[in-house]
Amino acid sequence: MLCDVLAQIAQVLAVMLLAPLIQGFILRYEERVQRSQGPSILQPYRDLWKLFHKQLVIPETSSWIFWAAPVVAFTSMLTVPLLIPVLTNYPLPLSNMGDILGGGLILTVGTFFINLAALDSGSAYGGVGSSRQVMLSILVEPTLILVFVGITLMAKSMLPFVVNHLLVANNAVFWSPTHLFLVLAFFILLLVETDKLPIHSSTHIEVYMIGEARILEYSGPLLGLLKWASMMKQFILYVIFCNVLILPWGLSIHGTVLGISGAVIALVIKLFLVGMIMVAVQTSQSRLRFYRYQEPLAASFLLAILAIIANQIR
Amino acid sequence: MLAAHLDPLAASIFSLITIASMLLSFVMLGSRWLKDYMYAFGIQSWLIALLSALVGYYGHYPELYLIAILTVLFRGLLLPYLVLRILRRLHVGRELHLVLQPSTSLIVGAICVIFSLVLAFRISTAIGFPENIVVLALTVMFTMKLVGFLILSIRHEAVSHILGLMLLENGIFLGSQILIPGMPILIELVVLFDLLVAVACFGVLIRYLMARVGSTSSLELKRLIG
Repeated sequence: MLCDVLAQIAQVLAVMLLAPLIQGFILRYEERVQRSQGPSILQPYRDLWKLFHKQLVIPETSSWIFWAAPVVAFTSMLTVPLLIPVLTNYPLPLSNMGDILGGGLILTVGTFFINLAALDSGSAYGGVGSSRQVMLSILVEPTLILVFVGITLMAKSMLPFVVNHLLVANNAVFWSPTHLFLVLAFFILLLVETDKLPIHSSTHIEVYMIGEARILEYSGPLLGLLKWASMMKQFILYVIFCNVLILPWGLSIHGTVLGISGAVIALVIKLFLVGMIMVAVQTSQSRLRFYRYQEPLAASFLLAILAIIANQIR
Repeated sequence: MLAAHLDPLAASIFSLITIASMLLSFVMLGSRWLKDYMYAFGIQSWLIALLSALVGYYGHYPELYLIAILTVLFRGLLLPYLVLRILRRLHVGRELHLVLQPSTSLIVGAICVIFSLVLAFRISTAIGFPENIVVLALTVMFTMKLVGFLILSIRHEAVSHILGLMLLENGIFLGSQILIPGMPILIELVVLFDLLVAVACFGVLIRYLMARVGSTSSLELKRLIG
């Protein structure tokens, strides 16, 4: 029991501490692919350290939402790792608090509060950023629900652990069209949620910003908290993509110390693989204008429908 | 019926090929560029040729090998070449007047898939072959037909009209290969040449449009001139 509690704490700590590493990996290799030097892989840690030692400036027009949003966003990112298989392939204490849908809900709570905070201080860019982000979320949400429905129909369960076991045990399900379509549909959603679509700009210019424009008013430790939360969100989504959908292997089965540390190493390797895919996606596509956002999302919707259809015929 | 007693490996290969060709028809539906349609159509024809060769192998229909070779030659090579030549000469790169945006048409396509699935379930139970591969073949056949009709009705470029027609034809051909293999070879040949004649006629029509109206958009053909 105590062992399980410690494993659960290890899951949360792994998400907290490894999230900046993956971010650093992606940022560095995006630059390396373009034949420039690139920042160090540890740069996000240094950025966070710097931000937490800076002074805090609060806009006069803001209310308590401005304070609450970073805390809520960070806390919800600390809650989701409890529900999903990060290091172990069996449910740990408190992981029965919610299923896949519950995890999705908590992930969205953070986004919702940041949207509120962006509107709160009344700056123009905050409004633009949150309206763009909400437009994307409105289109992402139905597809996400459809993907969850597809996963549920495939595994006959809403729990991520069951899906993981099914995919490890049954190769026929792993290579079935249902699963492959679900992977593709979820991959497009992953690109949208982690700002990797061609409509997202990699340079920091205010008019191009979508999600980042919401946090322009923040500074110091609160900004650090928000940046950390967004890195953790990206990390959690990649973990769900790997451990539940595409690479369900390499998790600790018994929860021993050796197994957990092996799972951490396997996790880093898996996420570096996903990071390389992200680098390839970001480098190979030219940037599009914002109003092309419907096309990848419609494709993702179609793929989710096809997955459900393929599951009916199976 | 061949599909009623297939071995599992053949059934899974057949379903893979049919699903891949359905995806390619959605590539045609979701793209703006006429060249992309053409490449997707070419790949789809190669897949269908592979399918008929495999049906010939598993069902012992030697004449299907000939059909497969002819499919590759006509649908996989000659038709794309002819249409790409038309595209090059007319300098039409992409669809200019869209009735439905690609994203909306993808959603309509998804609705078509659901409709075809329901229809396929009904038909397969009615004819007494509720096997998965039969349902899948029927679904993909109806989907490709509906998507073909959709392309015919929402696109204005004359070249897209040819493509919609060819996609429709491909859907029927794919369904017939799985559901009723071993049709008389003459019918299959007629289907192949039929398409060639259709493309040749369309080529002439497009030339005529270009000469008389000055564009290849069928939007110009609204008025009746006596």
